Amino acid sequence: MSRSQSQEIAVVGSPEFTTGFRLAGVRRFENIPDDEKSEDLDDAVTNVIDDEGVGIVIMHDGDLEYLSRNVRQTVETSVEPVVVTIGSGTGGGGLRDQIKRAIGIDLMDEEEETEDQE
Amino acid sequence: MAKDVKPTRKNLMAIEDRIDLSERGHGTLEKKRDGLIMEFMDILDKAQDVRGELSDDYEQAQKKINMARAMEGDVAVRGAAAALQEHPEITTESKNIMGVVVPQIESSRVSKSLDQRGYGIMGSSARIDEAAEAYEDLLESIILAAEVETAMKKMLREIETTKRRVNALEFKLLPELYENQEYIEQKLEEQEREETFRLKKIKEKKEAEEKAEKAEQEAAEAAASADEAVSGDELEQSTAGGLPGGD
Repeated sequence: MSRSQSQEIAVVGSPEFTTGFRLAGVRRFENIPDDEKSEDLDDAVTNVIDDEGVGIVIMHDGDLEYLSRNVRQTVETSVEPVVVTIGSGTGGGGLRDQIKRAIGIDLMDEEEETEDQE
Repeated sequence: MAKDVKPTRKNLMAIEDRIDLSERGHGTLEKKRDGLIMEFMDILDKAQDVRGELSDDYEQAQKKINMARAMEGDVAVRGAAAALQEHPEITTESKNIMGVVVPQIESSRVSKSLDQRGYGIMGSSARIDEAAEAYEDLLESIILAAEVETAMKKMLREIETTKRRVNALEFKLLPELYENQEYIEQKLEEQEREETFRLKKIKEKKEAEEKAEKAEQEAAEAAASADEAVSGDELEQSTAGGLPGGD
């Protein structure tokens, strides 16, 4: 096993979203008000992802739709740092497509069907 | 393409070796693919559980912070957030699952006691403390989700790559090699048949020549012996009849 250097957690989103995480100690953050997300969110996310001191990036699910296609693709596939989305949905939209492509079966759909049957 | 291959025995042996190697490789990669998918299914189950917990923790944290904002005001909450001294850090160790390097994330300084938060016990209210604690719990869940989802993404990438290699071997490389092998075997058989036919023809020709030679020889011998017989008779006749020209 190899150990990497110590890294931080970063959060990107509206001030209402980031404040809670800052209260928990997260000091790397990018505040983007809702009305500026279309213009500024791409750059903010790219800055944070390019920062080598960041290991995990936290974003709100709903903010993904403000991202351009390339940046969204990066967000969904990045492993260093990993982007964790929380909020409205399951947070697994892009992951679901990846699973379908790699395995050939929509595993998440089966999970939903099983839950419905229960 | 089969036509690009020279139909020699050496090439045939080389192709047979490649087929053997490719078939073994194909079998191994298929097993790797299946093993990766099985490991992935375990991780997926874990990820579903983690996601469920994450959603609950986020909901809880939002309730707490909304309560704190309502009771203390947004300014107080932001002020407390800005005063934090201790910052959570993560370190990553690597683990190997079926050849895929996945992270194990360890966190430090996420959960903090009241005095470690930096805003002082008197400088804030219980609501803000509860909100901070709820978000600390949420951070722990996020770190776990990050670990599991990173593992999932890496496994998926590896599964896709392995699947592509298996398909490339099964549908492209091996069929081409079989085609080349068949082509060379056919060509060699054809060459052998032609060679056999050629040798047969040469043999027949040679036999015909020998036969003709022998017939010529026999004819020559027969002619020679016929001449001898004639000249012998003439000599006998001349000695018996007293032909002139003796004295």
